[in-house]
Amino acid sequence: MFQYLLKRLLIFIPTLLAISLLAFGLSKMAPGDPVEQSSRGGGLGDAQSSLANAERVYREKARELGLDKPAFYFGISPAAYPDTLYRILRRGQREALAKLAGRYGNWEQIAAYHRSIQVLEGALRQLPANAPGAYAARSSLQQLYLAHSDARISSLLDGLAAEVEQDTALGPVLSGTVQGLREEYEAVKRQATPWKLYIPDFKWHGLDNQYHRWISGFLQFDFGKSYYDSRPVAHKMKDALFWTVLINGLAVLAAYLLSIPLGVFSAVWKGSFFDRASTLALFMLYSLPSFWVATMLAVFLTTPEYGMDWFPSLGLGSLPDEAPFWSRFRETAAHLILPVFCLSYGALAFISRQMRGGMLNVIRQDYIRTAWAKGLNSRQVVWKHAFRNALFPIITMFASIFPSVFAGSVVIEVIFNIPGMGKLTIDAIFQRDWPVVYTVLMLSAILTMAGILISDVLYAWIDPRVSYSKKQ
Amino acid sequence: MLIGVKKEKGLAEEMAHRQSMGQSYRAIVWRQFRRNRMAVWSLRLLYVFLFIALFGDFIANEKPIYCRIGGQTYFPVLRQYAVGLGLAKWEARFFQKSWDEHEYESVIWAPIPYSAGTIDRKNSNYVSPGGRQRVSSARFRHWLGTDQIGRDVAAGLISGARIAMMVGVVSMAIATLIGLFMGALAGYFGDERFRASRSRLLMNLLGLAAGIFYGFGARAYALSEGPFGWELLRSLGILAGSLVLANLLAAPLKRLPWLGKKARVPMDIIVMRLIEVINSIPALLLVLSVVAIIEKPSILFVMAVIGLIRWTGVARFVRAELLRIRSLEYIEAAQALGFSEWRIIFRHAIPNALTPVLITVAFGVASAILLEAFLSFLGVGVPPQQVTWGSMLNLARAQFSAWWLAIFPGFAIFLTVTIFNLIGEGLADAMDPRLKH
Repeated sequence: MFQYLLKRLLIFIPTLLAISLLAFGLSKMAPGDPVEQSSRGGGLGDAQSSLANAERVYREKARELGLDKPAFYFGISPAAYPDTLYRILRRGQREALAKLAGRYGNWEQIAAYHRSIQVLEGALRQLPANAPGAYAARSSLQQLYLAHSDARISSLLDGLAAEVEQDTALGPVLSGTVQGLREEYEAVKRQATPWKLYIPDFKWHGLDNQYHRWISGFLQFDFGKSYYDSRPVAHKMKDALFWTVLINGLAVLAAYLLSIPLGVFSAVWKGSFFDRASTLALFMLYSLPSFWVATMLAVFLTTPEYGMDWFPSLGLGSLPDEAPFWSRFRETAAHLILPVFCLSYGALAFISRQMRGGMLNVIRQDYIRTAWAKGLNSRQVVWKHAFRNALFPIITMFASIFPSVFAGSVVIEVIFNIPGMGKLTIDAIFQRDWPVVYTVLMLSAILTMAGILISDVLYAWIDPRVSYSKKQ
Repeated sequence: MLIGVKKEKGLAEEMAHRQSMGQSYRAIVWRQFRRNRMAVWSLRLLYVFLFIALFGDFIANEKPIYCRIGGQTYFPVLRQYAVGLGLAKWEARFFQKSWDEHEYESVIWAPIPYSAGTIDRKNSNYVSPGGRQRVSSARFRHWLGTDQIGRDVAAGLISGARIAMMVGVVSMAIATLIGLFMGALAGYFGDERFRASRSRLLMNLLGLAAGIFYGFGARAYALSEGPFGWELLRSLGILAGSLVLANLLAAPLKRLPWLGKKARVPMDIIVMRLIEVINSIPALLLVLSVVAIIEKPSILFVMAVIGLIRWTGVARFVRAELLRIRSLEYIEAAQALGFSEWRIIFRHAIPNALTPVLITVAFGVASAILLEAFLSFLGVGVPPQQVTWGSMLNLARAQFSAWWLAIFPGFAIFLTVTIFNLIGEGLADAMDPRLKH
């Protein structure tokens, strides 16, 4: 038993590692520039006058998020890409440069071209901000940073040259610089070394990288900060977790309390009207998509529109915190009835089917026949001998049901507007608040694995016939 | 589907029974299946759904099926296909007016004279099925009502049926292909049977690495900028070529002493670990977080993601089947005849595992349809203008008085999912020998 547990826990680690790599990889692929997303609230890039200041704030923020580090411990890429590409902090610029490198393969020239854009930007910054052509030139430059296709870059360079020429203040100062920029770009095209794309290059980045930072923070329950409101993800989740655990706990409890007697009765009177009716009804229930039922209940039972305004409207009610506990309790309870029902009926159908199957298996056993033969009454046979033995697998199922109910509550929380984990996740997806999304992904995976492990261990513990010491 | 899984587990027992019967296994299963009235009716309904999905353009369309204008005969619905393929063009007159404004000499409309995206401005803002509608005749009535911008609900249901069927079939086709392959690897070879020379293993690993590097790493620019499908095909071609080359090189290398030794690969452990990783993440969350990062949502991508995640069920099932099949006498006979392992797997072992796999496929289609409905209900990963059952159901949340938006699309989802579940149950029952008496 101990060995089995140890083995399972050891397998846990590589699985978790794989999942963490998946979550990290997805979060790196998620669209948007993390620095800009995480500082949407204020301060960044708003003032034209303090461009240099904005640049400094951007760098600080990027450093704070660890984005000035390489992504992973190592990387294998064509030799055309430099091993320091990550030092270009702005995602759009970095991707444009990577595309140039992927096309022309000569990083030295591309870097020189990039530097001369920066030089030109610096020169523009020296000029008075109200110089007439400066604004247009600046915006062309910003687009030049992000451009990678030949046609686009050429047209931007032409535009830039025209803007500088036309402006009497800019012309004499900058036309040389613009010409230099154009030459750098021509050099990139002329001295292309596409063969470098075919030479693999292994790059070792060491421990100081983004993944290492993220996963070690994660293991210490530091999940980072929300891009949306800069609150620590852990705080946001703590609030949400309460509601999710509450409604899921209630739902699973209700499902168990109802389904066990239902399953036992329909197994004992197998083939009776009750059995057939309940099997059919449960099957229908099981097939009803919970989000349809939830929508229907919300539409018909929470509005006066159809004369069935039996339940309060969506959300959790709006009583202030200082209201007496009992009235708050009643208010909340009334709001939770429908969501808990929607969450529980699916599990109810599933568990009672399992209970029925388990009971049917047990009832066929010899020892039940013995119990009948020695003259026990039906209550003793059913509840004392059969029920107990059929109950074990149902109890151990608890651990594996919980994660599935948990995932199912995503849509229920959205429909009934309950601020739980599901609603948090969906909101985060729409707000592109990736730290929250991928933390939820990781946590739910850990929960699921733990649930499966617990149910397996419980099963082995309760039923000594199950042997895990060797694989069959 | 949870109930289905339980059914599948009880299946192992029917196998011994199978040999004792003279008939072919498939004939027995089919005969059993036909006794199950619910399952048979579900199958019939499925045909209806398939018909609707295939011929949806002729059932709900703003264009007439046949019309005569100015002495000329047109078949606009058919022409739509030709135009879509680039074989024909619309004449100018069809651009100038919308379809219901022409003066037709004679015309045959589709049963529902609206497309899913047709916006009927006169009947916008949630027109009820039973309420007053501003239509020229009963022929143009919105029998199931409209949504806020005036789209016909019935037409939306038809187009939703097409998408649901497509999602179910395509994603489960992907899942089945991957699942069959992985499950066969794990089940047939187990942990001990897969033996290959070290040179072959090494060369395949090298070939894979080189294929990924030259096919994808070095071609990153072409892949992101060129026509995607074509470039992807070329990249995959490079990958395949690199693997073929590696295997060609492996044969002569085998002569070297160290490289020639056989090594064992525990296929079962590898595949099962992979399945465990995927199953550890709740499918809905995984699909959500993968689909969410796509900047341009598309239903094709959703189908691919569902397929790539849902293969584990099929794989586990095939694995269990092949674990049993591989020890049967006819497989031993095939091995004794000197057939290659791959030939035995694909020609002899997998065909016998296919019928039971249908059960998981049926349940899988149901859950894929449900998952897609979920996603479009939440509005993640599906383009906003695409009309699906889930997206229509979502509209009901904006306007509680529009009961028709809550009832009809939801019922369509319910019915489809139930049909597939019942077929799956029916198949599972048909393969269960305890019911054969």
